[in-house]
Amino acid sequence: MIHIENLTYTYPRAPRPALDHISLDIPQGQFCAVIGANGAGKTTLCYALTGFIPNFYRGKLEGRVQVAGRDVLTTPLSELAGEIGLVFDNPFNQITGARFSVREEVAFGLENLGVPREEMLARVEEVLARTGLAELAERSPFTLSGGQQQRLAIASVLVMRPQVLVLDEPTSQLDPVGTKEVFSVLRDLAATRETTIVLTEHKLEWVAVFADRVIALAEGRIVADGPPHQVLAAPDLERYGIGQTRYTQAARHAQARGLAAPDKPLPVTLEQAVAFFTSLMSVAEGDVMR
Amino acid sequence: MSSYAAFSLYVARESGLHRLHPLTKLALTGFCLFASLVLPGAWATYAAFGVILLPLAAWGQVLPLLLRAAWRTVLPFALSLFLIQGFFWTGGTPVLALGPLSLKREGVLFAIQSTGRILLIVSSFLLLSLSTRPDALMIALSQRGVPTGIAYIILATIQIVPRFQAKAATILDAQRSRGLETEGHLRQRFRALLPLIKPLVLGSIVDIEERAIALEARAFSRRGPKTSLLVLVDSPAQAAVRWLLLLAALALLAARLFRAI
Amino acid sequence: MTRMTQADRIRSDFTTLTWVMIPVAIAINIAVGQLIYALKVPLYLDSIGTVLVGVLAGPWAGALTGLLANLIWGLSGLNVTYAPFAAVAAVIGLLAGLFGEAGWLRTWWKVILAGIITGLVAATISAPISAYVFGGVTGAGTDALVAIFRGIGLGILPASFAQGVSSDPLDKTITYLVVWLIVRALPGRFLDRFPRAENVR
Repeated sequence: MIHIENLTYTYPRAPRPALDHISLDIPQGQFCAVIGANGAGKTTLCYALTGFIPNFYRGKLEGRVQVAGRDVLTTPLSELAGEIGLVFDNPFNQITGARFSVREEVAFGLENLGVPREEMLARVEEVLARTGLAELAERSPFTLSGGQQQRLAIASVLVMRPQVLVLDEPTSQLDPVGTKEVFSVLRDLAATRETTIVLTEHKLEWVAVFADRVIALAEGRIVADGPPHQVLAAPDLERYGIGQTRYTQAARHAQARGLAAPDKPLPVTLEQAVAFFTSLMSVAEGDVMR
Repeated sequence: MSSYAAFSLYVARESGLHRLHPLTKLALTGFCLFASLVLPGAWATYAAFGVILLPLAAWGQVLPLLLRAAWRTVLPFALSLFLIQGFFWTGGTPVLALGPLSLKREGVLFAIQSTGRILLIVSSFLLLSLSTRPDALMIALSQRGVPTGIAYIILATIQIVPRFQAKAATILDAQRSRGLETEGHLRQRFRALLPLIKPLVLGSIVDIEERAIALEARAFSRRGPKTSLLVLVDSPAQAAVRWLLLLAALALLAARLFRAI
Repeated sequence: MTRMTQADRIRSDFTTLTWVMIPVAIAINIAVGQLIYALKVPLYLDSIGTVLVGVLAGPWAGALTGLLANLIWGLSGLNVTYAPFAAVAAVIGLLAGLFGEAGWLRTWWKVILAGIITGLVAATISAPISAYVFGGVTGAGTDALVAIFRGIGLGILPASFAQGVSSDPLDKTITYLVVWLIVRALPGRFLDRFPRAENVR
């Protein structure tokens, strides 16, 4: 579904490339998370996947990017819009302002695509239900909370039925409630396996639970690529400014204190952490009982 | 419907006027505008106001709103007109003396005529705004060939303006609490301008980039036929009325040109 | 390499960024205009956004901004009397684009000159509209000026023009200076995004 070959991109007037010889293949239906420190190139990668680089930002670009069978670098943005969706971090800036109600706002993209009205009505209702916005359908988008507005942004893009959905730190400006709302929508979407999802995130606990695959970026290069339990527990990513989940950190503390074997696989989710510490406790009990 | 927290006069009513197609109301406004500039004499515009606009406003259940808004807008002009053109009309026939100044008959007639003109123009705009949903008007225009970008501009503007006004008020408060002088000497008030304007403008300009990206993600720049979720109701009768208004305007123009009126 | 036709030039001026900028510019017009009113400063300063669009996105975008700003101001009910002056606002935006093309926004004294010229043109076009539609008065504090001019014997149209000439050039000069300061404060990589970025580099 996504095929990137040797992508190198430098912003206009920038001293170094933002993306440096990136090669990447993402199969259809995968939920792929991209992590990395600020400035590592996560947002740039999102723009490259959705065609805003180079069509919007210009700059120097080498390599190939193919998404959903299209050469992103040479296809005009208006053609990509229906195939590849983009949601970014600021919920307010994604409200077009051209429509007065949530329902009409969601339909805006379909109107631009020339979808017949009957079909529009059905698709809009379906997406409103999937994103939990059905009760808010008549409200003005400007009166919604941050989490609701971000779900509206996702709905407005999902309704266009893109094959790939790219989300650039969608929860960074949201409170915990809003974050949960957004991830709940993404979880349901991922379960259908209909859409390939690429998500950049700092909230690693969420990434650990939902992502099929985690890619770590540092200074424009890929430094790790694998399933969450492998990448998020890797010991050497700290030097790239990439943190670890609290569960991993707690487990490493236990290791440092000699309470756990150094080669024991580290947990990245709550479930795994419970299993990890429970097994430590039974070893301890075993010691005591002896 | 509370969806209209927007920079617009529209008020929702269950009225026949509201249910009319937006272009019909636009045609009426255009006719009144034209008539206000072409009708001769001092009193014809008042007649048009009373005979055309007032009954329609009543039908639309917006009569009190219309009168209040019209009064508020026209009054300053009327006052200025009577005072300035009334007293300072060059070489006119005096009818009333007030100290060194005298009210001239021609000036008063002119003031009456101008006030009538302003009244008709302002009221026809008000009637249109009060009874027409902005997005319905934009759809109607887009269907007749007006580029959708223009519809976007108008609708986005009227929703963004209230947010901007709130932002401006916040910046004003914040700067005041930091000691910015906004009262007193003209120079002080003038100096207060830049620290108020700069954050407002710079802050909003940076957002523009992201908003453009969001629009692109909705296929905004796609060329080709677009569809509409909202449906407008038109009728042959309304189309006929629109043609009649056009003919009436032309007839008025012809009558004026040939000095028949 | 073929020269761009006028139609091509217009199309390349109206990028999505331009379409997004215009509502923001109109909102700036309105918000600043109201701020001025609240501070009781005797200026209008209601064209900052229009001039900004003209400079950054070309004369046609500027003209469209001015036109729609006045129509929206009129239809919103806040100041219905702005609507008949839509043509004046369009010309202000057009001129801003032309001055931008000529590179006048790069030096401070040319900025001032552009403001003065724009003010004079605006006064010239406004006068007949004011005279015919509004009977030569403005309905605001500037009517004191109109009274003076009428008092010394000027006709309706000349008095309107005289009032315009005494307030518009100053108003537009300050407008242009504010736009100049804003453009200088914007980061270079951001300015490059606009269709006519070369006007201000």
